[in-house]
Amino acid sequence: MISLEALKLKLERIPVVSGGQAVRISLLSLVFSFIIFSIFLSIEGANPIDAYTNIFSFAFDSNLGLPTTLHRGLFLLFSTLAFIVPYSARLWNVGMEGQFYLGTIGAFAVAYSLPTLHPALLIPLMLLSGALFGAGYGALAGYLRGKLNVNEVVGCLMLNNIAFWLVYLLTVGGPWAGIAESTSRPLPPNAHAPIIFYTPFTSYLAVGIAIVLYIFLSKSVLGYKIRVLGNSPMAAQHVGINAPRTYILVMTIGGAIAGLSGYHMWAGDPAFLMIPRPEAYKAIGDLTYWGLIIGLVCLLNPVAAIPTSVFIGSIMVGSTVLVRRLRLPFGLDVLFLGLVSITFAAFQFFYMYRIRRMK
Amino acid sequence: MWPFIARSLEVATILLIAAIGELLNQRSGVINVGIEGLMLLGAAAGFITASTWGLIPAFIIGMIIGGLFGLIHAILSTSLKVNQVVSGMGIWLFAMGFVTYWADRYSGPLPRGVVSPRIYELSPMFFIALIIVVVIWFVLSKTHLGLKIKSVGENPFAAEVSGVKVIRTRYLCTVIGGMLAGLAGAFLSTTYLGAWSHLPTKGLGWIAFALVMFSLWRPMILLGGALTFGFIWQFAISPETIYAGIPAPLPILRMLPFIATIVVLVIISREKFRKKWALSKPEALGEPYIKE
Repeated sequence: MISLEALKLKLERIPVVSGGQAVRISLLSLVFSFIIFSIFLSIEGANPIDAYTNIFSFAFDSNLGLPTTLHRGLFLLFSTLAFIVPYSARLWNVGMEGQFYLGTIGAFAVAYSLPTLHPALLIPLMLLSGALFGAGYGALAGYLRGKLNVNEVVGCLMLNNIAFWLVYLLTVGGPWAGIAESTSRPLPPNAHAPIIFYTPFTSYLAVGIAIVLYIFLSKSVLGYKIRVLGNSPMAAQHVGINAPRTYILVMTIGGAIAGLSGYHMWAGDPAFLMIPRPEAYKAIGDLTYWGLIIGLVCLLNPVAAIPTSVFIGSIMVGSTVLVRRLRLPFGLDVLFLGLVSITFAAFQFFYMYRIRRMK
Repeated sequence: MWPFIARSLEVATILLIAAIGELLNQRSGVINVGIEGLMLLGAAAGFITASTWGLIPAFIIGMIIGGLFGLIHAILSTSLKVNQVVSGMGIWLFAMGFVTYWADRYSGPLPRGVVSPRIYELSPMFFIALIIVVVIWFVLSKTHLGLKIKSVGENPFAAEVSGVKVIRTRYLCTVIGGMLAGLAGAFLSTTYLGAWSHLPTKGLGWIAFALVMFSLWRPMILLGGALTFGFIWQFAISPETIYAGIPAPLPILRMLPFIATIVVLVIISREKFRKKWALSKPEALGEPYIKE
């Protein structure tokens, strides 16, 4: 048990944490996780400074890691936005993983059935279908929560696992199976995302959605209603906000955004252009939970989520050099991400309290 | 037929041990959504220990690691008042990374010689799990300590006034909950699977978490739930022992436990059950205790 009294310290509650403070706290928590990870690096016999230099020089080098950094970072932005909208109504959308899988299914279904369609038609259709599939899956979780009162965390996680097996059903030995073992058929060339300045156009779409959501949540009437419901369900009831309907709405929006990332992920990275084997798409699906961490770290600000997502993306991409270039053991890169996430979670404390010395 | 039942009882054992720990800490008002992560950590620690020292040390080390991360969750959620969902998710994400780094290099079966004892093909751990459930049921419903734990989960302010140490009780329950999750993980990797593969829990922890919700926080209902879901899970893995030539493809079968969970959640959330559910839910579940 931590007894602050013994250390002559006391906690002081912060009513509202400001943006500036949040930035400082986040930087502090990053420094902390970097220090902890240095211990692991030293155990494995690597020089931490050398490792960090390698990580970030790789991640931001436009000839090496930068395209992937932007791609993965903006993939995280989709997940983050999919978390932020429901959480503004204090609904935990941890179903981004399932919504992303459904978005994948939606997009690929269009591409496989209309492979010869002109890209100017095919790509928007794939995006639309992905968003619709994701939205439907989000709406399902929202319906379970809003109308049937099923806890959304448990509901979403069950749906995620179901969606994982749905993709499996279609790709491994299913109708979309490719020639290679347990991956899907390659996407038709017409479906490949155009790359604009190092990154697929969907990256710009993500940034655009972030800006629109910022305005929607802070300036529009509906956004205001969502926030009222989030801050005080009682007050929302008194002013006549329909809570179940709003819950379904926010989950639908969240699901649609997560669904879009299905196209962005597989059609935007030249290394994929298909659904890879189950462990590989699951590994990407697991990244979507970062949406929760990034959303909270950014105080639900969609615009602040843009640079934060890209930065986390740079850690994801950069830390792969530990294994590939520095020949350190497999898994060290995912350990780094895990450390960053647990320290971010722990440092949420400083969003609420300040430690003061007792007089 | 019997080998199938023995295997499904072993899955029930995993679910039961993990879920009864979660039930205990939820009774004291602490949700731990990181239970899947704690199981992963316990599984990795247990597997690595078993390869060199055998099974009993594996279970002990699994429990220690689980308890350690239960303690971290307790520090974050009880002392530092971090939102319990955030803290649990953080621990889960960390566990996925750490376990991949730590245990994937040992991928493969346990070395020969490390074989768990089985009574008629069933691991004795099943009976230990039953004993744990009975003990926790007894503590919660028959003892003074149980009353204290429940009062902390229902109304920590009233509990504190009547002399119960709220923080201490929550620490105790969360650490025990973590130890049991760790034990469940160690049992999974060393006995049920007997091999290590990348992130072996595959959603079992989340099923255990859901079981707690629809047990109405009662150990005996939990026991029934664990047996049912143990059966469904094992059926999804080896259906041919029960139903030769089953037409459903594997992925559909593997969805079953998760679909069944949603169905049960929907049923218990109906008006008829909802009142009962609301009554038995620990009132302060998920709320940090903030002394003003």
